[in-house]
Amino acid sequence: VILLTNQLKMGKGFGNLAYVRNQIWFTLSPYEQRPFAKAIKTGLPNTLRRITEEAPYVLPPLLLGYAIYSWTTSEAHRRSRKEYQAIHGGGH
Amino acid sequence: MTFRKSHPLIKIVNSTLVDLPSPANLSVNWNYGSLLGLVLVIQLVSGIVLATRFSGHSDISFDSVISIYQDSNYGWLLRLVHSTGASFFFLFIYLHIGRGLYYGSYIYPEVWNIGVLIYLILMGTAFLGYVLPWGQMSYWAATVITNLLSAIPWLGSILVEWVWGGFAVGNPTLTRFFALHYLLPFVVTALVILHIFYLHLYGSSNPLGVSSNTNKVSFHYYYSVKDLYVYFVFFFIFMFFTLKYGYSFMDAENFIPANPLVTPTHIQPEWYFLFAYAILRSIPNKLGGVLGLVLAVMVLFLFSISSTQLLFSGTIYSPLARLTFWSLVSVFFLLTWLGSCPAESPYTEVALASTIAYFSLMV
Repeated sequence: VILLTNQLKMGKGFGNLAYVRNQIWFTLSPYEQRPFAKAIKTGLPNTLRRITEEAPYVLPPLLLGYAIYSWTTSEAHRRSRKEYQAIHGGGH
Repeated sequence: MTFRKSHPLIKIVNSTLVDLPSPANLSVNWNYGSLLGLVLVIQLVSGIVLATRFSGHSDISFDSVISIYQDSNYGWLLRLVHSTGASFFFLFIYLHIGRGLYYGSYIYPEVWNIGVLIYLILMGTAFLGYVLPWGQMSYWAATVITNLLSAIPWLGSILVEWVWGGFAVGNPTLTRFFALHYLLPFVVTALVILHIFYLHLYGSSNPLGVSSNTNKVSFHYYYSVKDLYVYFVFFFIFMFFTLKYGYSFMDAENFIPANPLVTPTHIQPEWYFLFAYAILRSIPNKLGGVLGLVLAVMVLFLFSISSTQLLFSGTIYSPLARLTFWSLVSVFFLLTWLGSCPAESPYTEVALASTIAYFSLMV
């Protein structure tokens, strides 16, 4: 347990992460800012931008998958018809 | 030094949940780990209380479940919570693995391999638990899955009878399945602790896939509050689902007591196993199907072997990798749907094509 906690502490604790030089911090007091500034005006277009940037990678495979599902379902329905079974032979 | 950093036990909690350096830019996809921990606790608590009311003998186990509903205080709620919790456990583990594939979390081999082991044991636990109510689907799912062992050359049939404790699935099988179902979640808990230990050696990855050592925040308050917020959202969705659609994932066949003389027309597992079931059925050969089933999960181990430490990890820097990932998701959905379809044409051909696609995309 002691070894465990020492490893946890020494491995990646604050102070052992990275050496960063010349850090300059600029900050604004929370009393001098509106908490939801531009949440809709900038936030909504940004959300739409993030969605449209992902869409070319997400939509084509999912749409193809849906097309395969749709075709398979209609094909199964067609193969269960009396006309198809009469031509190709019924039974499993 | 403050108490939380000096006390020998509290400092473990401190270094895991309070002073843990965490990347500042973790998204919701990093919440699934803590959600899995929550669902594990829910399953453990609900499961242990159910076990105090359940009888593990094949003559009375089905009736003991009815008795849990009718005679025990809030037994109906416990049972629904436990069965819905299993579904949510698998939902979150698939999202967690998907996050790992998308963002390249497999570059941490110990974390990844322990995670895959947890997933494997979880699948075993869920299967064992499903057998316990001793309904029609419980009995026949147990028969189908244990019979897969007979595909092993030479030792197969002896192994199956050893697992059964007889010449068919029966009371000895149910008894040992109950014992194992009680034991394995504690094995999972121990592995989860190891999983988190190894993760904290490296530090969490982040959505950008680059080192975040220059931009860390402490876990408390940022991620303790974020996790707590998502816990509340999960609680709302979970209780809504449990109370309103608690039976939507249950198979109607499992409301009929097990009958070895009557086989259900459509034997199928719960939704979280359907993709593996589709792969199993798509290969015409018995041993081939079993190998396909096993490899469908074991292929995850390959990721940590083949990957090297990259400056930019994950699929987000490669358009082809992102397309491959989402194709894999699409094939996974297809296979899940096909696992619930009858084993007839054209489903079998599409399942075979999907199996080939699944392994091609994984490799």
